[in-house]
Amino acid sequence: MARIVVDPVTRIEGHLRIDVEVTGGSVQKSWASGQMWRGIEVILQGRDPRDAWLFTQRFCGVCTTVHAITSVRAVENAIGLEVPLNAQYIRNLILIAHAMHDHIVHFYHLSALDWVDITSALQADPVATSRLAESLSPWPYNSVQSMRATKAKLESIVASGQLGIFANGYWGHPAMKLPPEVNLLAVNHYLQALDYQRKANQIVTILGSKTPNIQNLAVGGVANAINLDNQATLNMTKLYQIKDLFDEVLAFVQQVYIPDILAVGSLYPDWLGYGAGVKNYLAVPDLPLDTAGTQFDLPGGTIMNGDVSSVKPISRFGDEYFRDNVEESIAHSWYDGSDSRHPYDGETVPNYTDFQDDGKYSWVKSPRFAGEPMQVGPLSQILVGYAQGHELTVKWVDTALSELSSRTGVNVGVGHVQSTLGRHAARALRCAIIGDLALKHWGLLVENIGSGDTDIFNAPVFPRGEQRGFGYHEAPRGALSHWVVIENGKIKNYQAVVPTTWNASPRDAAGQIGPYEASLLGNPVADPERPLEVLRTVHSFDPCLACAIHTLDVEGNEIAKVRAL
Amino acid sequence: MPAVTVFGLGNILMADDGLGSYVIKVLEALYEFPPDVEVLDAGTPGLELSTILEDSGALIIVDTVRADGDPGTVKTYRREEILRHPPAQRITPHDPGLKETLLVLELQGETPPEVLVVGVVPGSVDYGVGLTDSVRDAVPDAVAAIVEELERLGHPALARDPPLAPDIWWEREP
Repeated sequence: MARIVVDPVTRIEGHLRIDVEVTGGSVQKSWASGQMWRGIEVILQGRDPRDAWLFTQRFCGVCTTVHAITSVRAVENAIGLEVPLNAQYIRNLILIAHAMHDHIVHFYHLSALDWVDITSALQADPVATSRLAESLSPWPYNSVQSMRATKAKLESIVASGQLGIFANGYWGHPAMKLPPEVNLLAVNHYLQALDYQRKANQIVTILGSKTPNIQNLAVGGVANAINLDNQATLNMTKLYQIKDLFDEVLAFVQQVYIPDILAVGSLYPDWLGYGAGVKNYLAVPDLPLDTAGTQFDLPGGTIMNGDVSSVKPISRFGDEYFRDNVEESIAHSWYDGSDSRHPYDGETVPNYTDFQDDGKYSWVKSPRFAGEPMQVGPLSQILVGYAQGHELTVKWVDTALSELSSRTGVNVGVGHVQSTLGRHAARALRCAIIGDLALKHWGLLVENIGSGDTDIFNAPVFPRGEQRGFGYHEAPRGALSHWVVIENGKIKNYQAVVPTTWNASPRDAAGQIGPYEASLLGNPVADPERPLEVLRTVHSFDPCLACAIHTLDVEGNEIAKVRAL
Repeated sequence: MPAVTVFGLGNILMADDGLGSYVIKVLEALYEFPPDVEVLDAGTPGLELSTILEDSGALIIVDTVRADGDPGTVKTYRREEILRHPPAQRITPHDPGLKETLLVLELQGETPPEVLVVGVVPGSVDYGVGLTDSVRDAVPDAVAAIVEELERLGHPALARDPPLAPDIWWEREP
C-alpha cells in the first residue's frame, strides 16, 4: 500500500489537498481536504444588505459575477422583491458569457494537458494534423499553415530549454495515449481558445462595465441605463457588439470545443468507466424568464442513485424542496462541534486539530441534501435536464452519445456519462446549450426594449424585524446558494454554500464520503510519484476552493508538492 | 488600447492582501491620468487577466509579494525576475495568476514589452477588512514608485489640486 499526498503549496495559505491510498495499482481509500478557513461570511455581519454583493464578489477572483448575482438574488428573495425583465435578461447574458469563458478556460488551459502530451506533439505531421482536423469539423482555422506555426512554436520553446507555461506537466507519462497529430491539434486549439475566452469575457465587460469585478448590479435590478440613441448607455451599437461576440464564441464551442472533446474522449474510452463516485445529482434552475423567477430556461432538480427516472424538479426561486433539505455537517471539519445545521443557522467557529484520517481533516463543511452527499456541476445539470426532457439538452446529449458510440464501438449511454470523462463532455455540451440560450435571451432583451420597456430597477424596502432569504445560481461549477438573515435592515447572518463545497466535502456524521473522495476510488495509478490519473479525476470537477488570496511569489517557492509515502 | 495599464491585485477581504486595491484608490484620489493610461482594481483574477494584459502597452502592477523583508517593505521587480521560476502544477483555476498569464501571452507573441511589479511584503493575510499599520505606512512609497514609473514611460500622472479623499468603500463602518 502506498499513500500519495497531492498538496499544492502555491500561496501563503494552502488550498485543496488530496490523499489517496493505492493498493495493487488503484485507489482504495481517499480524502479531500480544504486547507484554508472559509470564515469570510463573518465580514458581512452588520452590513447593509444592499452592499453585500460588492463584498461577495470578492470571495473569489474567478467567480466574481457568480457571487455577485447570487447575493442580490438572496436579498431580493428575503424581502420578496421582483426585478424588471430587462434586469433579468441582462443578468442572464452576463452569467452565460462568464460561464462560457470559464468552461473554455477550464478545458483547454486547466485540464486538457492532463490528457494531451506536449512532447508528443513535436512528432506530429502538420499536414496530417490539418487533414484530421478538417475531417472532424468545418472550423475554418485548421490549416496546414496554422498547425505548422504551432509546431514551430513548440519546437522553439523546447529548444530554449525553458518550457514556460508548459513546465511541470507529466510529459511522457504512460497514461498519455493520444497520437502525435491529436496532441498537436489540441495544442493548436489551446492557443486559439485563448482568443475565444477573451471574447466571452469582453461581453461581461460591456454589460458589467468592468471585469473581473462588475459594477452594474443592484438589489432590485441592474444599473445599465437603457437608451438606444445615447452613447453613454446600453444602446444598439453595444447590443450588436454583444451579439457578434456571442456568435463567435458559440461557433468556437460548436466547431472546436465539442469536436475536440469527442475526439479526445473516444481515444480514452477507459475513462468513461472511472470516476463516477457519488451518483446523486443536484442542479438549480437558472436563466429566469419572468420578474418573479417562476419560469426558467435551465431546469433544476435532483436525481438519486444515478437513476434518471428518480428526477424531482426544483422549479422556482425560493423553492421549498431545496430550502428545506440543505444542511451542512461539520463532523469531520475543523469547526467546533459535530452537528449538522441549516445554512440560516450556520456558524463558522474554527477548531483546528491537524489532519486526522478518522477524525477532522478539512476546513470544508459537508453539505448534504436530505442527508445525502450530492454531486453538482455541468454533469448534474445535463442529467437533470435530460431526465426532464429539456429539449436543447436532449438534442445535444443524444448527438454526443451517438458520436461517441460510433467512434468507440461501445454503446455509450447515460450511465457512461457518469464518469471522469463524462464530466468534461457534459461541460462542453452545457457550454453549447447556454450559448444557444444566450442568443435567445439577447433576442428577448432587444424585443422587450423595442416594446418600449426601459425599466431596470425596483427600489428595495427593508421592513423592521427579521427576514430570511436565499438565492441560487447554476454556476459554472454547479449549484451555488447564498443564505441571508436580515434584521432591521442589517445583515444578521450570511452563509454561502458553494459548488466546490458540495463536491470536495469530507465525510459526514454518518461516515459517508464526499463526491471527490468517492470518484477517486478504483482510479488506476500507474506511477505513484506522478499521480496523473488522480489529477484527471479531481480536475474533471473543475475545483475552485481557496479562492481568496493573490500574493505574488517571485522567489520561486511555487511548487505543487506530491509526496508518495 | 491604453499605452500603460496600472492595476492592483489582491483581495480586500483578506487584510493586507487588499493592498493592491487600496493603492489604486489612493492613486485615483491623488492624481489625474492621461487618456491613454488606464487604472484598474483587478481583484484576484485567473486567466481573465489576459483580457486586461493583451490590450495594453506597458504594465504597472501593485500587489503583495512573498519575499524576504519586514512587513511593509516595498520591492520592485521587472519581467525577467517574475518569470525566472516556472509556474506550479495546475490544480485550480486560480493557479494561472500573473506569471502564467504573462507566459501565455508570450506564447502568443503578445507580451507587453515593459512590466513593473511594485510589491509590498504583507504582515497579515487573514480574514478581515483593513490593512495592518506597517503595510498602510508603505502605501505612499508604493504610490510614489508607480508615479515615477509613469514618468519614466513618458505618460506622467498629474497631481490633483486639491486632492480628493480616497474611496476605500470596503473600510467604511457598516
